[in-house]
Amino acid sequence: MNEPGPGAPERSVRILVIDDEEQIRRALRSVLQVHHYTVDLAATGGEGLEMAIDTTPDLVVLDLSLPDMSGLRVAEELRTWYAGPIVVLSVRDGDADKIAALDLGADDYLTKPFSAGELLARIRAHLRRNSPGDSSLREVRAGDLIIDLARRKVTVAGEVAHLTRTEFDILALLARNADRVVTSRMMLEQVWGPDYVSDTQTLRVHMSHLRHKIEPAGGVPRYILTEPGVGFRFVGDEEPASS
Amino acid sequence: MRLRARAPMWARDRPRGRATLPLMRLPRFLTACWGLPLVLVAVGVTTAILLPFRSTLEPGQVMLLFVPTVVWVARTSGMQASVTSALLTFLAVDLLFVPPYYRITVSSPADWVTLILFLGVALAAGLQTGHMRERENAALQRQREIALLNRLSSRLVSEKSVQAMGSFIVNEVVAVLGAVVAVLGARRAAMFVRSDDGAAQIVAEAGAGPAGLAERALADWVIRNDKAVALTVSDEVPSALRPVSVGAGEAIPGVVADGAYVPLQTSDGLEGVLYARPLVGSAPALAGARQLLAVANVAAAFLERHRLEVATAHASALRESDRLKATLVSSVSHELKTPLAAVTARVTGLLEEGENCGPERVRSELAAVSEDLGRLDASIRDLLDLSRLESDAWRPRPDVYELGEVLGTVARRIPVAQRARVVFSVPDDLPQVRVDFNQIARVVSSLVENALEYSPADAPVDVGARVLGYEMLVWVEDRGPGVPDQEKQQVFEKFFRGSASGASPAGTGLGLAIVREIVRHHRGRVWVEDVDPHGARFVISLPLEGTV
Repeated sequence: MNEPGPGAPERSVRILVIDDEEQIRRALRSVLQVHHYTVDLAATGGEGLEMAIDTTPDLVVLDLSLPDMSGLRVAEELRTWYAGPIVVLSVRDGDADKIAALDLGADDYLTKPFSAGELLARIRAHLRRNSPGDSSLREVRAGDLIIDLARRKVTVAGEVAHLTRTEFDILALLARNADRVVTSRMMLEQVWGPDYVSDTQTLRVHMSHLRHKIEPAGGVPRYILTEPGVGFRFVGDEEPASS
Repeated sequence: MRLRARAPMWARDRPRGRATLPLMRLPRFLTACWGLPLVLVAVGVTTAILLPFRSTLEPGQVMLLFVPTVVWVARTSGMQASVTSALLTFLAVDLLFVPPYYRITVSSPADWVTLILFLGVALAAGLQTGHMRERENAALQRQREIALLNRLSSRLVSEKSVQAMGSFIVNEVVAVLGAVVAVLGARRAAMFVRSDDGAAQIVAEAGAGPAGLAERALADWVIRNDKAVALTVSDEVPSALRPVSVGAGEAIPGVVADGAYVPLQTSDGLEGVLYARPLVGSAPALAGARQLLAVANVAAAFLERHRLEVATAHASALRESDRLKATLVSSVSHELKTPLAAVTARVTGLLEEGENCGPERVRSELAAVSEDLGRLDASIRDLLDLSRLESDAWRPRPDVYELGEVLGTVARRIPVAQRARVVFSVPDDLPQVRVDFNQIARVVSSLVENALEYSPADAPVDVGARVLGYEMLVWVEDRGPGVPDQEKQQVFEKFFRGSASGASPAGTGLGLAIVREIVRHHRGRVWVEDVDPHGARFVISLPLEGTV
């Protein structure tokens, strides 16, 4: 995919980090500044909301456990006027919180502890989607997989994969949102229409067929990962080593 | 008052399950209540049989023929009835067999002699059978008592549960004491133990009738005051065991005791109360009281033994938990401190070097720091996971998935440098499984991490799956040294360090314990087997029933 290489200069993008832990704030600031982002820090939900109004960030990183108000409330209030991406940070396996945050309008989540590489990849993925170039995305490549979004053609290791219309729509939606979680609800809404948002069984069947057609043999998916209880995530080319 | 209400209930209330009622018992009971009618019937029947022959029989012969009847009455009903029957017989013979008929004619001295002789025979027969019966009775009672105590003492050793023992004891009290000792025969029995707050707590009850309102209150009273209620004191009972007799109504003002409340006493104090409500409302007979006390002693011994056993088990559980805690603390402090110390050393080293240190060196040091932090995170994750699993705070939330979906996540978690070593081969047509995605991903990840660590750095690790019967088997296979047979069970224990793990094993030693715990939550199994020529294969089986 067309990612800028690490350390490549990017536009001055403002990122607001709302986290009550001093160490995390400091660590995120240095990591993000190194990658030429402008960083604002807030330690509480209230402070974060005010700062969001003052600075109009391009992206918000929001910790779900805050001292003054729940991170979910912050996400909800932020969403009333803020259209940019919100990435929430949650403790491990706080599934219910993750799903609630996504429902309230957050765009993605990261589970603590996470590597800088992971966070940067997510931030890039979300900024890319919000950039004007997004709609002109014509092709997505990952490993042996080439998805030609304009011609609606998919090849796996040079062989053409014969996808049904629905399967292609699912894949295209996931690929456009590469490296970001796409909830089952969102997929049903966008591929089938708003009347089908609860029909997860149908989605699973189509997902299964799609996987058999594009994933490598051996029964282990490489491109589309399941996010249990939430949805799916298309994995682009290898992220920078996280270990 | 309660006796009047209860007496007619006798026939209905007799405890069931005692088909072998002693044959002696029925006539004896009848004579207790119906002594006079029995004598009348016996004498009447004999008279009726002999009447047709009165013209051919001498009065002396008639008297002789009545002797068996009188002796039978004596045997069955004792002396009083026997003398009554002798007098009746004399009247009948005088009225019906000695002319002039229908008139009492005790005129001649010979008649007086006959009467006195006859009474003497009746008296002798009555006395003798009375003694015999008493001895017989005593022997029978002793025999039953011994049988009862035998049964109780064999239970005393084998029984583990207070409820089961209590229910056995109260049923015996109702059945055996009720059968042998007519007077005490318990209509209802119950056993109480002293609960932690000192109140009486019922553990078992038997017999008919609801629990009396005063029952619990009186049991409480007995426990607080260490005195028996409504039980006669007898010299046969050793004074050490002798309960203090408390008259009915004395215990709690306004409350009338309707039975015997025997404290269950041991050298350490009061364990509980045994209660028996008598069949017929009078003071319990001596023998019955003695038996009840004997049963109470066994019950007390059992309760004491049980209490001591519980205390011992608790103490050893505490010791085990202390040992585990100590292991946990030492393991945790080692596993958390080591990477922290390494990180600190590297970072402070870099700071010392300052400007002099080249970017290559910074990079390699930071890579090492990142690895140490990974270990730290894994240790913390293990500890949290196991404690959440053990406290049931991490229950599986199963949903239907394809196994491949889970393995995709597992593959993603393998460090990039090691990814090429792990070979997944899963059939395309595997059925879906109903599992908690995160938990099963955790299990397979743990097994893969283990396999990578315990096998040579270039050796492959195979992950496979197949269906066997109603189970799905998932395995992780390495080419390491394998697990010796004697350790195949132990490897799943907390903190177990296999002989293959070497001098400085990594990890908390909790990984496989977590695996076992998660698989158990999924109603599955996990085991390890050998791989030819060498290596270990960890297999988990997940039930397929209920899956789609």
